[in-house]
Amino acid sequence: MKQVLLIAWREYKQYVLSRGFLIFLVMFPLGLAGLTAAMGFAERSKPSRVFVVYDETGQYADEIDREITRRHALATLNAWNVYLAAYAPAAAVEALPAPFAPDGVSDARVKEIEEAGGYAAAEAAVADILRAGAPAFTAPREQFERVAGPVALAVATSVEEAETILRPYLLDERNIIRADGEPAPLFAAVLIPEGFGAPALNGGEAPPSAQYWSRNLTDTALEDLVGNALDAALKREAAEALGLPRAALDDVAAIAAPFEAYRPDREAEEAQLDMQDRIETLMPAALTYMLLVIIFGVGNLLLTNTIEERSNKIVEILLSSVTADQLMMGKLIGIAAVGLTMPAIFLFGGLAGSAALGVGGANVMGSVFASLFTSPLLLIYLFYFFCAYAIFAMIFLAIGAVSNSLQDAQSYMGPVMLLVFAPLPFMIMVFENPNGFIASLLTWIPIYTPYAVMMRAAADPPLWEIVGATAFMLAFAIVLVRFLGRIFRNAILQSSPPKAREVWRLARQDAA
Amino acid sequence: MTDLPVQLENVTKRYGAFTAVDDLSFAVGQGEIYGFLGPNGAGKTTTLRMLLDIVQPTEGRISVLGSNSAISVRRRIGYLPEERGLYRKMKAADSIAYFARLRGLSGATAKKRAYALLEQFGLGDFARSKCEALSKGMAQKVQLLATIAHEPELLILDEPFSGLDPINQQTLEELIAEQRAGGRTIIFSTHVMQHAERLCDRFLIIAKGQKRFEGTLSEARAGFGRHIHVRSPAPAAAFEAFSGVLSVRLERSGGEENDYDIELAENADPQGFLHQAVAAGIVLTRFEQAGATLHDIFVALAGDEALAPLSGVRAEAAE
Repeated sequence: MKQVLLIAWREYKQYVLSRGFLIFLVMFPLGLAGLTAAMGFAERSKPSRVFVVYDETGQYADEIDREITRRHALATLNAWNVYLAAYAPAAAVEALPAPFAPDGVSDARVKEIEEAGGYAAAEAAVADILRAGAPAFTAPREQFERVAGPVALAVATSVEEAETILRPYLLDERNIIRADGEPAPLFAAVLIPEGFGAPALNGGEAPPSAQYWSRNLTDTALEDLVGNALDAALKREAAEALGLPRAALDDVAAIAAPFEAYRPDREAEEAQLDMQDRIETLMPAALTYMLLVIIFGVGNLLLTNTIEERSNKIVEILLSSVTADQLMMGKLIGIAAVGLTMPAIFLFGGLAGSAALGVGGANVMGSVFASLFTSPLLLIYLFYFFCAYAIFAMIFLAIGAVSNSLQDAQSYMGPVMLLVFAPLPFMIMVFENPNGFIASLLTWIPIYTPYAVMMRAAADPPLWEIVGATAFMLAFAIVLVRFLGRIFRNAILQSSPPKAREVWRLARQDAA
Repeated sequence: MTDLPVQLENVTKRYGAFTAVDDLSFAVGQGEIYGFLGPNGAGKTTTLRMLLDIVQPTEGRISVLGSNSAISVRRRIGYLPEERGLYRKMKAADSIAYFARLRGLSGATAKKRAYALLEQFGLGDFARSKCEALSKGMAQKVQLLATIAHEPELLILDEPFSGLDPINQQTLEELIAEQRAGGRTIIFSTHVMQHAERLCDRFLIIAKGQKRFEGTLSEARAGFGRHIHVRSPAPAAAFEAFSGVLSVRLERSGGEENDYDIELAENADPQGFLHQAVAAGIVLTRFEQAGATLHDIFVALAGDEALAPLSGVRAEAAE
């Protein structure tokens, strides 16, 4: 056993203490932090889009302004939530009074904050609980700025004329002057013709369309905003025509039906679904995909290092010190440990990070950890990880043992990759219908049993099916390990790689 | 079986229809250097692998250091395979220590011994170098040091001289002699007859999986006729008529004089040949006696693959 562990430790050390792995380990969180910072920077440095509205009706420019203001208020509220999560301890934040404590982003809450004194009052309320060195809260920049446009636009008499006036600006041939007097490129123009309005108010005739002009076809934020603003305006007009005050429609639109989901397998008081339930449902799928990625990753490590030992002729020296079975076992244990190291580091790193930041159970990370550690999910995952690993790792080991180079291995790898990733397209079906036919079918195919059972773990599949399929998988794994183990033992010392048709003979020989 | 360090009895190894080793028996005595000679594909490596229990014989019995399986005594064996390598990314000292640990040394002892050996063999400065940075000769030294680091009782070296330059061959010869002086039993296979001649107490010649000879060099020579080299103006036929002459081969034709390689029967006396020449009035301007070299013996026994295996007489006579 000592020799097995020695081999396992060498394999483990070779990868985990390699420069590449350590760099990745450091770079990954740094990269994540960098990406987050870069996204924040990109958001902050996004240029304020300048646009003009030519409105022959004289009614809708203000509606668009109102929507811009509303969206900015919602973005500011979201930024406030993020600010609190980053700079104040979770427990203290939860004790804040209602409008200031982190909550959903809604028009109603925007209104409540305004009524409670705005963000100046909010900052005063959190001043005592902020961590030392926390910066002052800054609202996000305005994303859009409506400007009056060239002087000629004010005296234009038709949409066509307005379009002719604005075209050089839209083509960046000329700059528009912003409110502060600075020149800026014109991002878009909204042209609203005479007669624009809701169809019902127009005697049934189709009203002319409002037009959105822009060279930028990829950033559709302003286009969406204008569309939504005009939709809302026309609905308000329609409501008014039906005798409702305009403002009433906003209240109506803000109504969200109180709607809660329950699961029947729990007692009434615990039956309501919460975030942790949702995460518990998603976790098996996430773990299954992680399993696939790890199996593929470590399988490749096994393949390349077996080929190295074989082609570098190290294997014969090893086999004079240990048996082929001990060598195989050492490699399997070492590489399995490599496969588990990465998720373990991120898991415990995440735990430590959450503890350090005081993230409580009410957030996503807390729910992820709760679902992992308070349910048997992690144990199930580990069990099926080792089963799937034993099956696929042996396949990779055997391929390594019959190949002198990666090129030799290619001919075997095609079908194996197909086998490894074949269940991928079906996993969505298993996720959506964890006790359906496809789920059952995959459960009973031994090489996919680990994936299928993982995916179904949270859906209470029939116990007999899981036990039966797992027993079948274990029997299959034992036969496969013996079969492929013979190929490994018999082929690893052959100086030239065996031909594909000889592989079967190698698997049937008891000894070399 | 006796307590000889290595003993094979009627060992056969078949791969399907192909017989790699055929009914091979030999024994190696304590403290002996035993040469294992044979052409490519003769079955040398297969025999050594069977000795080490890396592959199992189809038939026959093997005893190594008193055990039926080398696996159980592997810590007392050092093996240097013909095709050998090192982990490219591992440091030289770590490589030696790793293999020594696999053969039972503790981590600290293995490391200490690795550094000491590297120092002793002039590679102290490269102890922390990765194997991929070493020259071929250095890497071969490291492999050899990895074989002896755990101080084995039995050393099995498969073609240890292949790929070594003359200086490293000399170093290896010294190392083998040093190991023998330390009481170790050494088996090595080689193509290079000079090494075997200089180093081996006994040797075995194998061809097509079968034993062709086992014994000492003098025993091998005794099994072959004596040769004399003469220079004379007389024709070959003049010597063929002498009693005790088995064959006459013209080595060089030099106009007035020719050089001949004359093979005498086992019991023939070279002096008798000389007397016959004087009596016949044949002038000899050169007369040299020579024993068969190991190279001659090897070529005669194993070089011609078409040659039928020696049945009984020579092989058994030599045992």
